[in-house]
Amino acid sequence: MKELKNKIEKYKTQFNREITLIQDKKGLQELRNLFLSRKKGYVSLLFEDFKTLKPEERPEAGKIINELKEYVQTKLQVLQEEFSTAKKVEKTYDLTLPGKDVYLGSPHPIVHFQQEIEQIFLTMGFAIEEGPEIETDYYNFEALNFPQHHPARDDWDTLYIKDDLLLRTHTSPVQIRVMEKKKPPIRIIIPGKVFRKETPDPTHLPMFFQVEGLVIDVGITFAHLKGTLEYFLKALFNENIKIRFRPSFFPFTEPSAEVDIECTVCDGKNEDCRVCGGSGWIEILGAGMVDPQVLKNVNIDPEKHSGFAFGMGIDRTAMFAFQISDMRNFYENDLRFIRQVLRK
Amino acid sequence: MKISLSWLKQYIDLDISTSELVDTLNNIGLMVDDWEENENDTILDIETYANRPDTLGHLGVARELAVALGRPLKEQSWPLIELNEKTSDLINIKILDEDLCPRYCGIIVRGVHVGPSPYWLREKIKAIGLSPINNVVDVTNYVLFSTAQPIHAFDLDKLTGRKIIVCKAKKSESLISLEGDTLALSSDMLVIADEVKPVALAGVIGGQETSVSNETQDVFIESAYFDPVSVRKTSKKLGIKTEASYRFERGADESFPPQAALMAASILTQMGGKATKGILDIYSEPRKPKTIVLRNHRVAGLLGLEIQEEFIEETLSKLGFQIERTQKGVWQVKSPPFRVDVEREADLIEEIVRFYGYDKIPAKLPPFETLEPALSPKRKAFHKLRQILFHYGFDEVVNFSFVNEEKEAKLQSGRKPIEVRNPVSSKASILRTTLIGGLLENISWNLNRGAEGVHVFETGNVYFWQNDSCTEQCMLALATTGRVGTAHWQSRNEETDFFRLKGACEAFMNYLRYDPYIFREEDHTYFEPGHSLSLHFKGEPVGFMGLVRRDILDSYSIEDEVWAAEFKLEMLLEKQAKKFQYRPVTRFPGISRDISFIASQEVTYQKIKAAVEKCSIPYLNQFYIYDRFSGPSIPKGKVSLSLRFVFCHPQRTLLAEEVDALQERIIKTLKAEFNFQLREGGKIDK
Ligand SMILES: [Zn+2]
Repeated sequence: MKELKNKIEKYKTQFNREITLIQDKKGLQELRNLFLSRKKGYVSLLFEDFKTLKPEERPEAGKIINELKEYVQTKLQVLQEEFSTAKKVEKTYDLTLPGKDVYLGSPHPIVHFQQEIEQIFLTMGFAIEEGPEIETDYYNFEALNFPQHHPARDDWDTLYIKDDLLLRTHTSPVQIRVMEKKKPPIRIIIPGKVFRKETPDPTHLPMFFQVEGLVIDVGITFAHLKGTLEYFLKALFNENIKIRFRPSFFPFTEPSAEVDIECTVCDGKNEDCRVCGGSGWIEILGAGMVDPQVLKNVNIDPEKHSGFAFGMGIDRTAMFAFQISDMRNFYENDLRFIRQVLRK
Repeated sequence: MKISLSWLKQYIDLDISTSELVDTLNNIGLMVDDWEENENDTILDIETYANRPDTLGHLGVARELAVALGRPLKEQSWPLIELNEKTSDLINIKILDEDLCPRYCGIIVRGVHVGPSPYWLREKIKAIGLSPINNVVDVTNYVLFSTAQPIHAFDLDKLTGRKIIVCKAKKSESLISLEGDTLALSSDMLVIADEVKPVALAGVIGGQETSVSNETQDVFIESAYFDPVSVRKTSKKLGIKTEASYRFERGADESFPPQAALMAASILTQMGGKATKGILDIYSEPRKPKTIVLRNHRVAGLLGLEIQEEFIEETLSKLGFQIERTQKGVWQVKSPPFRVDVEREADLIEEIVRFYGYDKIPAKLPPFETLEPALSPKRKAFHKLRQILFHYGFDEVVNFSFVNEEKEAKLQSGRKPIEVRNPVSSKASILRTTLIGGLLENISWNLNRGAEGVHVFETGNVYFWQNDSCTEQCMLALATTGRVGTAHWQSRNEETDFFRLKGACEAFMNYLRYDPYIFREEDHTYFEPGHSLSLHFKGEPVGFMGLVRRDILDSYSIEDEVWAAEFKLEMLLEKQAKKFQYRPVTRFPGISRDISFIASQEVTYQKIKAAVEKCSIPYLNQFYIYDRFSGPSIPKGKVSLSLRFVFCHPQRTLLAEEVDALQERIIKTLKAEFNFQLREGGKIDK
């Protein structure tokens, strides 16, 4: 009997040690088998021992063996439940609810588009220059080969501050400012605000953005102008866009060209196309070889150096690229409009 | 300009389709904006350029087409029914200012019966969108739109003394124009006068008194060349723009006046009049064409394309240029008198390539080596700044540079506004002196359209007078009001406040490594008194932030509170950022100590910070405030402040006793400086 009690004590200690080591259901089953297996479990073995005891010892022995059995069973049961609840976590929320939204600010569509343009020219090795928005008559007109009383000035409706002071009508004066300071080779773009005396309507505003380009070096030709603008327009729109160069007039370039791209809205097939007016082409850039007089005005010898310049309205091009029909949208600053740049 | 196809056909055979014609014109730079086909004609709307007055008539367009299509121009002849009287017997012409009028021609047609034009002429006039008036006026218009040479018809009998004097107007003279307006003349204006008074404004408009009426018997036809600048100045000064002034100011063909006079006289004699003998032509110094040297290597050098010499010679001579080869690949070229735009080699090269075809120029990328860093440090910093502000939930806006003077005055930016002399609207008559007004406008607009909150920034110039010069300064402004984002099911979206704005500003200062900077409590006209800070970077003031004044918000109809800031961006971007420099990270654990005080509300965090920094506590790695509150448990006028101090030794683990001593020093300092009471376990020590 004493022997039996010792055995039970030893089994209990062993059980208490082993149960702390159990990590999964498999271990649990192994421990259960070790103690409760009908054939070889410790409890069954104890009942074998029980049979060898004297009849008067049996009631007490039966009690303590059963106590161990219950102890083991209860402990295993608790652990069993722990394992199953851990496996099946109670679901208290709806996973289909929207996730946390971090509110990010959005770039303005014009600034955003301007940066896309800048990026293309940066990869071509152009630097970015800026200049004042209030200009003198000299930089805005005279130096760009618009003589004082030339009707060409009528094409640039000007907002004046004083006789000699005006809001620049194009970014071209910066060409002059840069050429006065730097010697060739020059390869720059000039993005910025420009101003015209225009009554606001869907396609005209008194203020808008332009980007100007200027390349001056030895041996620069019209072919380089074409190559540069074709590369740029293909990068900005798409690789297959059709581009057309046709003669035009700007006082500061000679020869001058107007650059059209095909209307991707109608592919030139809709006579009533809202975007191209049925011509199939959209006027996108003015360009040309820098006029020899302009080079002379900044003391660059046109016999030695040549160059090209181009200019593009950023707003107008963005309107075409994003299919926006009213230019005024850009400056209303309705956040429902602006934030479309950022996200759907 | 409107061009009638049937009119063009008087000069050139055109058996091609309209779309072929349009393509041909576009390719040589006569852009057809639009065209309209009716039963018996096609009307093209051609975009003309300021340097090409020769294309402002049907003949000029036909000349261009003739070269492009390789066809001849049809010969024109203008037979006259002549009287025996000589023109010079009937009228006397004198030019007193040959600089402004180098050539003046005239002829008289007697016995014109003023009345409706014949059918063919009325049709022509209508085709280009004008209304027929009478045969004489219609003929002058017909000549102008045919040849681009403006002519004028006077009633001969009304010219006092039968004299034409071309001279400057006298002071205080006036002229009643064809349209019935009394024009005050000034002494810089060129006029046509008779013996006693001005009868026409040279090249601009005729006078009513001497104009052709139904009673007119004999007409004097004027066909002259007037100086472009003089015509333009007069036209601008009086605000009169006519088909004639439009052409003269661009430069007429000095060789053409006799032909235009002849043409007009011929048509009028076909209608029954009889012309005087000989065109009176006052032209003392005929203009000599300039010689331009054209070099074939420059053609290739400018275009990046070899063009055959035969093509160059043929094209230029077909266009009316005299071209003479002086050596291989070099020519001397003289422009025809109608091409006032061609004066230099580059102009000739444009002529050649216009007809060769822009599409035949190859597209090549220039041989580019990198010249300088693609993106300047200033621009890089600008991009980064924008990214930080986007991260803080500020949307970017772009506002007009023009503002309403009255509203701008309310803001009191302290900068003297620049007025636009000829503004687009009286409500946009000055240039902005601050960006804040625009942002408030944006807030108002968006709140009115249901936005729960608006958080915006703008970068751009403000403009103002500084001494006597116009200054523009690039600024950054921010404004924030209302809730941020939309409500989430886990939490209500946060309401903005001053510290959100300040956080964004601190973030760009920190992340752009702008150091050292400091905020000071300082009032500014944009903000409620006591509710604003100034920012100083490297000792210079760069801007302000605060709670926008209520009366300003009222003028923008904004009911909510708005926090705003404005900085001199140019100044920030131009200064050197602190360079990145590695500091070793300690491998030993830090010890942190929390200290809570009760302090007077007057004691600002900045003062506490300065006091702590002043004591230079050794091993104090960082400290910050992590709690601040007031309420029933705290005496009135006081706040509870909780500060955390983190101590670290670079080479070893600090001992608790060492930190205790440092902590004691901090407490002592703060108590002495600010009369703080230490708070322990929620109790206040005495
Ligand atoms: Zn289209």
